[in-house]
Order: sequence, then structure tokens, then C-alpha cells
Amino acid sequence: MKKSVFAFLACLIAMPLQAADFTPLDKAAARQLLDPASHRQPTVVALWSSDCSHCKKNLQLLSTLVKSNPRLRVITLAAEPETANLGPLLDRFQLPGPRYAYGSDNPDAIAYAIDPSWAGELPRTFLFNGAGRKEKVSGVISAPMAEKALGLRF
Amino acid sequence: MARSALTTKLLALFASVLLFGLLAPAASAADAMPAMAKKTARPELGASAIFAPDGSLLVAAKQGDHVMIYRTADEGKTWSAPAAVNAQPEAISADGENRPKIAFAADGGLLVSWTHPFPKPNTGAIRLARADDGEHFAAPLTVHRDTAEITHRFESLLTTPDNKVILAWIDKRDLEAAKASKMPYRGAGIYAAVSHDGGRIFQPEFKLADHSCECCRLSSALDRDGAPLFMWRHVYAPNERDHALARLKPAGSLESVKRATFDRWQVDGCPHHGPSLVVDAQGVRHAVWFNQKAGAGHVHYGRLVAQGDELQVEGQLTVGGPRAAHADLGSAGGKLAIAWKEFDGERTQLQAMRSDDGGKTFRTLPLGATDGASDQPRVMRRGEALFAFWRTEKEGFRLFPLP
Repeated sequence: MKKSVFAFLACLIAMPLQAADFTPLDKAAARQLLDPASHRQPTVVALWSSDCSHCKKNLQLLSTLVKSNPRLRVITLAAEPETANLGPLLDRFQLPGPRYAYGSDNPDAIAYAIDPSWAGELPRTFLFNGAGRKEKVSGVISAPMAEKALGLRF
Repeated sequence: MARSALTTKLLALFASVLLFGLLAPAASAADAMPAMAKKTARPELGASAIFAPDGSLLVAAKQGDHVMIYRTADEGKTWSAPAAVNAQPEAISADGENRPKIAFAADGGLLVSWTHPFPKPNTGAIRLARADDGEHFAAPLTVHRDTAEITHRFESLLTTPDNKVILAWIDKRDLEAAKASKMPYRGAGIYAAVSHDGGRIFQPEFKLADHSCECCRLSSALDRDGAPLFMWRHVYAPNERDHALARLKPAGSLESVKRATFDRWQVDGCPHHGPSLVVDAQGVRHAVWFNQKAGAGHVHYGRLVAQGDELQVEGQLTVGGPRAAHADLGSAGGKLAIAWKEFDGERTQLQAMRSDDGGKTFRTLPLGATDGASDQPRVMRRGEALFAFWRTEKEGFRLFPLP
């Protein structure tokens, strides 16, 4: 009995450390998430989807970058509502940052709040240097380009 | 105590079943409008529509693990109770660039195709079901022989006057083979399968092209001389995501694949915007597609005309504003119409534009708007008349005449 209570408590404590669920993102939260003023440290907001084969390359690159740059924060945002297969797709990259997925707002409104000049192509990556600068790029990114945009390398 | 709680629950369940049974006939109108169906975690709105020979509109859309057919005889005012295409439930793709397709074979058989996704992400099989009488569907078949758990998705369904049924789709068998031998392979492949008997039996599939884009819808049409055409987003070396046009011979084998657009959008990414193609009564090929050109993303319209052995785009122009997306087009009675979605900062607008001079000049027709999620619009033809069909999460199926 004691053992099982302990196991239960251990589970509760471990939960936040495990791959968390996705936070549904509405348009107001999207606007805030993509505001350079929201980021006081080098941060990547990486848009991806389960359909997007090229997104895996970026997620892999960010997984490597975050290991060698403790100051770097990687936030992932799935450009689709959460489904059962979304979590396992992301788990393999072992990214420690928050995970978002589209919420219940009109997907067109969420996309517009993320970036009015984004047409839905993926991957789409937003790189914040933590001091007010934001760069955005569609497609596969390179480590030198990302590190430069994030202010990790000059 | 536990027992009485269980009894209460059973009674409640029994009562709700009884109540549902009583209400079911009255609820058929609601069933016919998926916007009113119970909220699921992920509403998949992808739908296709076609006018039947009797003038009624048929819509194919997903409901759970079934493709359903919805009918209206009064241009969408009232809908019949939906009928299931696949009697046995199976997973169905119907979001974004995916949707079930619907067509009539030349012999009058009603055809519905869809991508059946496997549990592994981005894999699936192309399925086709046929109703000889337009109502009662035989069990669906998989149109390809390849049974590997890989990508066979984003099918396009085309029928010909000599009762051929042709499907073409994005197929990753060559990519998988390249991966296995550690060879590079750009994009995915396009495969096609042909039936000569209205969709009952399919010949073994064959490759139309290597190096297509990975997840954009395909489009198809019949050329001036009746030859089948398929258009898709391609990946031209090194990474230009322009479009290709394939022309098939009358017997159904491949005649040619030519580059059809020249915007040179270089991106190692997934645009999620497939093209649309129509051939008008004069035999002119009209297309709409999305591309970034000189750094800006736009929907483009143009005519794909032969220039020697190559194709070139004639009369290319921008459709809508900077957020115009997912355009479709149609032609009837000397008119050409394009419909597209465009988010205006508050709502998603449905816009159209119509040309009476073969695509040289257009006038814009605002059609409607929605606050919620919406499918891509489709342009529909009934005789000499054109309509835009649009499924929105809040309003359901909507039909707009394009005067």
C-alpha cells in the first residue's frame, strides 16, 4: 500500500519533467508568443506539423543546438490541433521547452496572429535574440544561421 | 449502493438510447449538416462535391471512420440524411490538402476515393468505392498493388468519357528505396493507376514522375483532345517548388511531363498549397497555384500553353490579396471562375472572380465569410452554371452561385 502511494506521488512529481501535453494556442496567446518583448533570452519558436517531413530536420538541429547552448530556449508549435500521434513525433527530439498546438480558434486567425506574412509553409522558424530582435525563416535552417540570429554567435 | 448506482446509469443509458431513437428521424437534418455534429477534437472539414445528372448536389465528407454522401436537391437549403460509402469503418484523411473525392464514371457509376491513413505518420493507401446505382456502394478497394506501409496519399480522381477511371497520388516508394540504399532522393514520386471498366478493376500502377513535392494536393482535368492531365507541385533541382503537368496517352500510359510554372520558389519545406487545373470548352488550360515569387507569396492564375516542346504561362496574374490561399477554378458556358479563401485579420473571407473573356480580365465577387475553421473552397459546374462550394465549421455546407 505504502509502496503504491509512493509510486503515485513519484509519478505526480515526475509529470512536469516528462514530455508534457500540448498547450492549445489561441490567437491572443499566439500574438504574445511571437512578440519579441516576450523573450528575454535567446528563443526559437519552431512551427512544425505531423505532415511536414522537412520539419524533422529543423527539430533535430534545434535538439543539438539546445544541448550545446544552455541559454537557448526552444518552443515548439504544431500548426494543427493536438492528436494522439503528435506527442510521439516530438518526443524523439527530446526538446525541453514548452509545446504548443493550435487551439480552437479559427486556424486562419491563429496563423495570422503568428505572422501575417506566413502562408502556411512549414517549417517556419522564428528566432529571437532575447534583446528585441526577431528573424523568421521558411524551410530548413542551418546551425550557423540560427546561432547568428539568436545572438549565440557573432 | 454500488449496484443501485449502476442500475441508475443503465436506466439513464437506456433512456438516452430510447430518446435518441425517437429523435433520430427529426435529427436527420442535423446529421446532414456536419457543422452541427458533436464537437470532435479535430474537425476534419475536407469535402468534395459534384452535381449529379439530375441536378442535385452530392457531397462526400468524413464523419468518424466513414465517408458519407450528403445530397441536396435545392442548392443546399435542405439535405438528405447522409449515407455511408464504406460499410466497414476505417481511418480517413480529410484535413488540409486531404479530402475524399467524388466523381461519376461514364457508365453512371458513382465513385468516391479517399486516402486511408495507416497508424504510422504520413503513410496510407488510396481507396476507391463504386456504387453502380449511385447509392449502394460495393466494398472499397485499394487501387495500387504496393502494400508497403509508406506514403500513398493526396490522390486525384479523374474519369473519362470511355469509362476509364484514373487516380494519381503522391507515392514515396522510390524515396524509401533510395533511403534504404543511402542514396539522396528529392521530394516524393507521383504514381497513377488506370481502370478501363469504370473503377471495378485497376491495372498495376505506374510512375508518372520522380521528385514531386511531398504534401500538396494534386489536380486533374481532360485536355482539349480528351487526354488525361494531372498537375502537381514538383521539386525542380535544387529545390524550386514549381508545378509539373503530366499528359497521358488515350490508353492511359504516360505521354509527357512538363514544367508548367516558373516562379522559382526555393524552399526546403512543405508549402501545403496544391494547384488546380481546368480545360475550357475551347481547349485552353487554365490553372491556379500558390507560389512565392520575388519573396512574396501569392495565388497565381495563368494559362498553360504549348511553346514548341515546352509549356509556358500566358497571362499570369495575382489572385486576391497577400493572404489569398487555396484557390480552385472552373469553367462553363464561356465563363471562367476562381474561388479562394482570404483571412482579413478578423474573419476568413470567401472570394471569387469571374472572367467572360477566357481569363484576360476578371471581376471580383465577394461571396461570404466565417469566424471559424473552414475547408478549401471548390468551384462546381452544373451545365452552363458555376457555383462555389465551401464547407465551414460553423455554417456547414454552403453553395454560392457565381452569376
